[in-house]
Amino acid sequence: MRRASVMSLGVGLVILFAGLMSGCGYNDLQGLDEDTKAAWSEVINQYQRRADLIPNLVATVKGYAEHEKETLEGVVQARAQATGIQVTPETLKDPAAFEQFQKAQAGLTTALGRLIAIAENYPNLKADQSFRDLQSQLEGTENRITVARKRYIDRVAEYNKKVRFFPTNLTAKFLLHMEEKPNFTVADEKAVAKPPEVKFN
Amino acid sequence: MNLNNMSRVWRKPARLFVFLAMFLSPELVWSLEVPPLTGRVMDLAHVLSASDADRLTADLQAHEATTGNQVVVLTLPSLEGEPLEPFVHRVATTWKLGQKGTDNGALLLVALKERKVRIEAGYGLEGALTDAKSAQIIRNEIVPRFRSGDLPGGIAAGVAAILKTIEGTYQAPERPAVPAGGGDIVGQILIALIVGVVFGLALSNVNRLVGALAGTGLSLWLSPWLLPAIVTGLVTLLLVLVLGSAMSGRRGGGFDDWTSYSSRGGGWGSGSFGDSGGGGFSGGGGDFGGGGASGDW
Repeated sequence: MRRASVMSLGVGLVILFAGLMSGCGYNDLQGLDEDTKAAWSEVINQYQRRADLIPNLVATVKGYAEHEKETLEGVVQARAQATGIQVTPETLKDPAAFEQFQKAQAGLTTALGRLIAIAENYPNLKADQSFRDLQSQLEGTENRITVARKRYIDRVAEYNKKVRFFPTNLTAKFLLHMEEKPNFTVADEKAVAKPPEVKFN
Repeated sequence: MNLNNMSRVWRKPARLFVFLAMFLSPELVWSLEVPPLTGRVMDLAHVLSASDADRLTADLQAHEATTGNQVVVLTLPSLEGEPLEPFVHRVATTWKLGQKGTDNGALLLVALKERKVRIEAGYGLEGALTDAKSAQIIRNEIVPRFRSGDLPGGIAAGVAAILKTIEGTYQAPERPAVPAGGGDIVGQILIALIVGVVFGLALSNVNRLVGALAGTGLSLWLSPWLLPAIVTGLVTLLLVLVLGSAMSGRRGGGFDDWTSYSSRGGGWGSGSFGDSGGGGFSGGGGDFGGGGASGDW
């Protein structure tokens, strides 16, 4: 009888320990870290999708508006700059690289906004079927970028909370050496959520 | 004395209210709420006649029966200042149109006051219902009819074009997919609690302390997140200790109480959305990534 109760005390303690282990957030932290990486990959994926659209778009606009050299070159340059910065989930931890990436993509957004704006001056271009398709693809991609960024923001917020909250912060700091991840700023998010501004001059 | 009793009676509901408000408050941030999904044709702007709506519903239903694609039409009197794209995405993801895994849902939204229309394509339909194709449907099928004042005709033509575009992308599963329950947090916590308490009570026969510890550990282990886990663990600890002593006092009595509690709790988890009495239509768990196109007329 005595031995039985000692044994079951041992079993009880083991089960309690298993419960506490999961309570310290080890698995949650790993899972959330993986989630943020997946969400970031989707952001990159959508930015890449936008970059892939640009050569066709530039070629189509050139066909109708060849003397808009400045704007066209601006787009090509901005694209080269944006695709030149590779941010993998691993280098994500570096806030400076993250900042640079954001800036380059924002630059491309602005350049594309200008390109779409000049299309307004060319009725033939606006009526061109392939330009229309490209334009709707571009709009759809901008929308996807917004969605992907929003999801990344939510995932990182969740992850950062886990990293900072007690007691999971102890697991994150001393066991996993995890740190907070940089996130898109709200001002920046607003700028991207807005469609490119159209200016007539 | 009497007054004191009164305030004690009211303290619980008040606390419950604060608790519920904490959960509901994020929804209040939005100016325009996502309407509850009650059918395939959600004509909130009242632009369709009853027969139009019935015909559309029948088409959409038949389409889902053969392909599994879930397409829903929503007309709104106004967006109330909400930007179009984020709102449509919010509606589509809240309703979870399309099947889980294949994400083959689509939403056609018409906002009367803003004169805006949008087709939102689920992840799984982006290959067929591309942005360009969506824009073409809006430009060629919907907008010309809307401009001539034929809203029902435009919606019907748009839906027909969408269905034709996405036909053949998916096959409906053999059995209509039943949304897998128990994935929600309340269900998981309840399971953690029940398993922990039952196990703990069983071990309590050997040793009260061992039973309580083991039950608590099990509940902690099974609970989804840290905070619920701690709460669930504590509740299990209390329940095992209290029920255990009640059981050793008068066998069975404590268990009956607990059974009635758990059966009452089971009701919370199942009360999800999309419960529409007649049709019983609800989203299948599909996800949206922002694909589709917008237009105005």
